[in-house]
Amino acid sequence: MISVRRVTKVYPNGVTALREVDLEIAKGEFVFLVGASGAGKTTLLRLLFREETPTSGSVIVNGHDVGRMRPRQIPYLRRQIGVVFQDFRLLPQRNIQENIAFALRVIEVHPREIRRRVNQVLELVGLSDRGLALPAQLSGGEQQRIALARAMVSRPVMLLADEPTGNLDPQNAEEMMRIMLEINRLGTTVVMATHAAHLVDRARQRVVAMADGSIQRDELAAAYHMEVNR
Amino acid sequence: MRLRTWAFCLNEANQNLLRNPVLAIASVTTTAVSLLVLGVFLLLSVNVNAIATSIESQVAVRAFFSQNVPRSQEMAEMQTVRGWSDVRTATLVTKAEALAQLKQEFGDQAKVLDTLGTANPLEDSLSVTAQRPQDVKGLASRLSHLGGVVHTTYQSAVVSRLFALIDDVRIVGLVIGVLLLIGSLLVITNAIRLGMTARRREIGIMRLVGATESLVHWPFILEGLILGGIGALVASALAYWSYVAAYHTAVHSLPFLPLISPSPVARDIALLLFVLGILLGAVGFRISVRRLARI
Repeated sequence: MISVRRVTKVYPNGVTALREVDLEIAKGEFVFLVGASGAGKTTLLRLLFREETPTSGSVIVNGHDVGRMRPRQIPYLRRQIGVVFQDFRLLPQRNIQENIAFALRVIEVHPREIRRRVNQVLELVGLSDRGLALPAQLSGGEQQRIALARAMVSRPVMLLADEPTGNLDPQNAEEMMRIMLEINRLGTTVVMATHAAHLVDRARQRVVAMADGSIQRDELAAAYHMEVNR
Repeated sequence: MRLRTWAFCLNEANQNLLRNPVLAIASVTTTAVSLLVLGVFLLLSVNVNAIATSIESQVAVRAFFSQNVPRSQEMAEMQTVRGWSDVRTATLVTKAEALAQLKQEFGDQAKVLDTLGTANPLEDSLSVTAQRPQDVKGLASRLSHLGGVVHTTYQSAVVSRLFALIDDVRIVGLVIGVLLLIGSLLVITNAIRLGMTARRREIGIMRLVGATESLVHWPFILEGLILGGIGALVASALAYWSYVAAYHTAVHSLPFLPLISPSPVARDIALLLFVLGILLGAVGFRISVRRLARI
């Protein structure tokens, strides 16, 4: 599903964000990307949905060579990938249903199908009764669940989440985590960058630990920190 | 794109316009004013051109006789002139005929001439047309040396002055029009750019969820077209109706002016203004599009 080979990313300001990174992620996996700020987690995620291009090496996502992709192919790659950010990125003037529907409207889905799918994802994130509310009327946890619903409404094969629980209280963070694991259980590959050690520890999924632009550790069913006595 | 996607783009464009109504009104107004000024100068230029052409087609030299020259001498001079090879026609116009002609040209306003009473200040003259327009100057010079002739006039002097005037009108109109067009282009560009900045979150999300760049662009293209189009419609309508009104007034009060009838020309110029307005909107978008790439 994802194949990152010898990828180095140097930003125009000279900062090296990734150094010779190799990473393989199979279809249906759940992977935590952990590490301190500046370790390269966000850059790695941004390469996957072609927000950035690698300086060297190759990034293959669902069969597409993302680095060599022509600009007009990018939208079609992104339709296969759902992305969630720490800051939700909802449209404040539109209600919840419209926020989610917006993602389908811009890819020209039929209105009847849009209504059906919006209801489905609202149910998935447990907010069926809040469809007509504006984002500002929702708690942070609810807003992030809406952002997740929007990411999932186009039925992507892969979900990328960059610190999705970063702005949430522990209870909402756990609810968010529960939904993401459920999404993964239904077959979607999930890659989640996080600092939330307790969530990682409890989920017991594959953990890729990064530091200074390199992968330091890649373990299955692992914890946030390396466990010496396993 | 599907019809409903066009509807979506149009709706997004409308929301942008409603979000910045003052700027939208400013864009429409400056576009309308600049196109209207351009239209007025175009209509003026076309008409002055028509007047000049009409006068040029009747190029004739008039040689005026002194009041005391006997009719027999005038007839003799006419016969002489008719013998010249570069002369097409030569006719004697008596002062009475000249007055009658003047009355005819004045049409409804001929009553003005009644104030002259029985007096006729006009002079007998020879009206001479040349074989070719370029012979006129030499012909006028020779006619001025005929016995009893006090002065000669020929309308090419008027024609050349008119052509100079047309050039002036064209240049002034073009300069003012172009300056105003640049002004309205800047206002339209600014309106589109503000829309882009205000909608950067939407644009970011559109790209994130896989909207094609053309779908990202279209709301702004439509916004430019709407701004330019409405401005152009206002300008076209004003230019058309004011020309029709001016034409009808002029036909009655200045009947001797060979003005161009509004039906083809005002419609064509209104159409041209409309196309220009649409172009302004499109160019406004083209200038702003780099901003969009940075969002």
